[in-house]
This record gives sequence, C-alpha cells and structure tokens, in this order.
Amino acid sequence: MSKEKEPIFSAKNLKYLTGPFSANNPVIVQILGICSALAVTVQLKPAIVMALSVTAVTAFSNLVMSLLRNGVPSRIRIIVQLVVIAALVILVDQVLKAYVYDVSKQLSVYVGLIITNCIVMGRVEAFALGNKPWPAFLDGIGNGLGYGLILVVVAFFRELFGSGTLFGLRVVPESWYMAEGGFYANNGLMLFPPMALIIVGCIIWIHRSRNKDLQEK
Amino acid sequence: MNKNSNTYIVIYATAMVVVVATLLAVAAMALKSRQEANMLNEKKEAILQSLSAVDRDYDAFVEAYAVDAEGAKIASVTPDAALQLLFDLKGAFAAGTYPVFEAEDGRIVLPVTGSGLWGPIWGYVALEQDMNTIAGVVFGHQGETPGLGAEIATPKHQALYAGKRLFEGDAFVSVVLRKGGAKDPAHEVDAITGGTKTSDGVTAMLRESLGAYAPLLAAKRSAEAASDASECETNNAENHE
Repeated sequence: MSKEKEPIFSAKNLKYLTGPFSANNPVIVQILGICSALAVTVQLKPAIVMALSVTAVTAFSNLVMSLLRNGVPSRIRIIVQLVVIAALVILVDQVLKAYVYDVSKQLSVYVGLIITNCIVMGRVEAFALGNKPWPAFLDGIGNGLGYGLILVVVAFFRELFGSGTLFGLRVVPESWYMAEGGFYANNGLMLFPPMALIIVGCIIWIHRSRNKDLQEK
Repeated sequence: MNKNSNTYIVIYATAMVVVVATLLAVAAMALKSRQEANMLNEKKEAILQSLSAVDRDYDAFVEAYAVDAEGAKIASVTPDAALQLLFDLKGAFAAGTYPVFEAEDGRIVLPVTGSGLWGPIWGYVALEQDMNTIAGVVFGHQGETPGLGAEIATPKHQALYAGKRLFEGDAFVSVVLRKGGAKDPAHEVDAITGGTKTSDGVTAMLRESLGAYAPLLAAKRSAEAASDASECETNNAENHE
C-alpha cells in the first residue's frame, strides 16, 4: 500500500479509461460484443442508447464486483457476477421503458441481452475482481464507451447509406432519389446485419494498418 | 472465516438474492406509473394513426366508450375505463364489453385481437362514417417472423386495407387475406408471401373481433340510412312544393 493517496485522475487511472477507446478496444481488438453491434446499428439513436446502456452496466457491474471482490466466495463468483449484471440490466431496461419508450421498443430484446454481452462479464472477471473500485469503475466506463464508439461509427454509415438519414433527419435530398427522377437509391444491404459485419471488418482493417503493434506476425 | 465453506456460500447467496430482489422490486414499483402512461400513450397514438390523424390531440378528438354484445352502449364504462380495456382485450371481449373509439368526425376505431403464428397479434381498424368502408388499420404483433409474418405491422401492408368494405348489402363478410392475391377488390387483400399462418390469423382476427361489433355497426348503419332517407324525403317534399 502506498502511503500517498493516488490522485483520482492520475495518468494510470486515465489509461484505464482511454485504453479501451483504441489500443484495447473491446469490439475491434478484443472482438467482443459483435452480436449486439450487428443488431442495433441500423440507426444512430438506438445505437447511442444501447452504447449508454452498456456503459452504465459495465461501469456499475465493475464497481459493485470490485467492492464485493474480497467477500465473494470464489466457487460461486460467476453466479454472483451474473446476478449483479442481470440486476443492473433489468434496472436499465425498466428506466428505458419509463423514459425513452420508443427507443426501448426498437431495442426490444437487445437490452435484455446486454446480460450476455461478453464485454460486461469479461471486464468483471478480468479486471474488477483484481482491482480497486475506482480503477474498476473507470475501466467499465472506458470499455462501455469503446464499444459505443464502434456502434456509433457503424450506425452512422448504416443509417446514412441505408436510409439516407441521420438521427431520423433527412440528409440525402429527396430530389436525388430515383422515385423523384434522380439518380440515387438507398443501399438496402446496409439495413441488414451482414453489412454491419463488413463495416466492422473495414474498421478493424484501417485500425490495424495504423497500429503496427496489433498486427499478427 | 472460511470463505469456501458451504455455510458461508449459502448465507452469501441468500443475502445477495434478497438484496437484489428488494432493489428490483422497489425500482419496478417506482417506475410503474410512468411505464403504464407510456403504454397508454402508445395505444392512443395507434388509434390516431389508424384514423390518419396523428397530429390531432387524442383527448379532444376521440371519445371512448364500450358497448355490449348487442351493440348497446354500456353507461357504466367511462372513457378512461374503455381505454384500459385495451390492456386485456381478449378478457374484455369474453366479458361482453367491447370498447369503441369514436372520432369527432363520426369515424370509429374498433380494436381487434387474435393469434398469429408465434404469439398474439392485435390492431385497430378505423371505419369511415358509413360504418362499412375501412379508413385505415394499424396492426401489431409480439413475435411474428421478421420479413414474413411481421410484415403485417408495416405501412406497406396496412395501406392495402384502406377502402375495403366489411359488409355486402346487410351481411357481414369481413376482409380476407387471400393467398395468391386478392380477387374480390371490395373484401380481399393480398396475403403475405411466406406468412400464410400469420395472414390466416389476421383474417380470423378481423372476422371474429369485427364480427363481435356487427350489431353495433348494423345499428349505426340503419340509423344513418334512416337519416339519409329522411333527408331524401325532405328534399322530395321541397321539390314537390
């Protein structure tokens, strides 16, 4: 134990927060949480709500499990983690139903499926059980936002090219469309999950080409 | 203390579950009223949508009441209570109370409920002032297959119903979703390709739920015919003079 108290936003702590944005991104480096990244990225709004929901769950599950880490019997720790995560997800689901009902309907089962998002349990098991509450909390926020970042980028391209809108507002002018005598048509494939996989693949490609140390030998 | 002893584990797990359960119960109760308000709002919006009047204010535009199996208005059911009936429409139908939503302009919206392939389906059917022609429909479903049965909830499919007629003369014939394409332009719409069971479910839902309202519709139609006839008579009388 160091005598001097570590500042709340020391360089080390900030690294927990910002590491998952790029160098240790849960989606494009650890390849976790791909399933929901395909499902909720047709439009920006649900993608952002999903990103915030996952961030809340990772942050608080990390915090709670880190607080409990010295008391949890190791034989039932996975079950305890699941209980904590499931409780948080139900809370998030209830809050969404009460305050953003339309988005909650759009996300439908995927809010409940945050429970099975590998990022959440992965961070609890790998980080929170071995670290103090504050770094664990930052790590949770960092991973949630790192996941959300990819979600937002993918949703941006899918909504723009798939529907010609952003946040539901029209970006591509009506007069461009073939139906109006123009030359343009929305890319229907963008609305389907496979296209999200292709976009995630492209992001990974660009990311690796710029980060030489991530490239496999 | 041995953290891996059975006693410790059992006590730990029990305490954990009690704490989490209490927390969730409190949260659920605190948020319940807001969630119910949202659900009620959604139903109001669906009713307005079936009337193609989404920009109107529900409370000013629509009057809700309930009728019995003979089509007579049940005075004891308040507008709010009629709206609440939508939360258990099957139960309300079984109990002989049929909610009706009458718009300011004389059109009415009838709720319908039935079963699709995987789960319940429901909807709202708006009728023109003649109590025969469909002005618009809104359908919802719980778990029909996306791209197949779930197509019933798309504007593209729902647009097919506008202008269809429920009655042929005085006989109630409902609207049928026909596989292979509608043949009778007045009473049939195209069934959904690959969604035969859901289409059959919608056909049955319309026949059974709207059929339950047939006495009300017949009464309203004859009342209208009578007022039309009296208008004709006055016209005739004027012509004679």
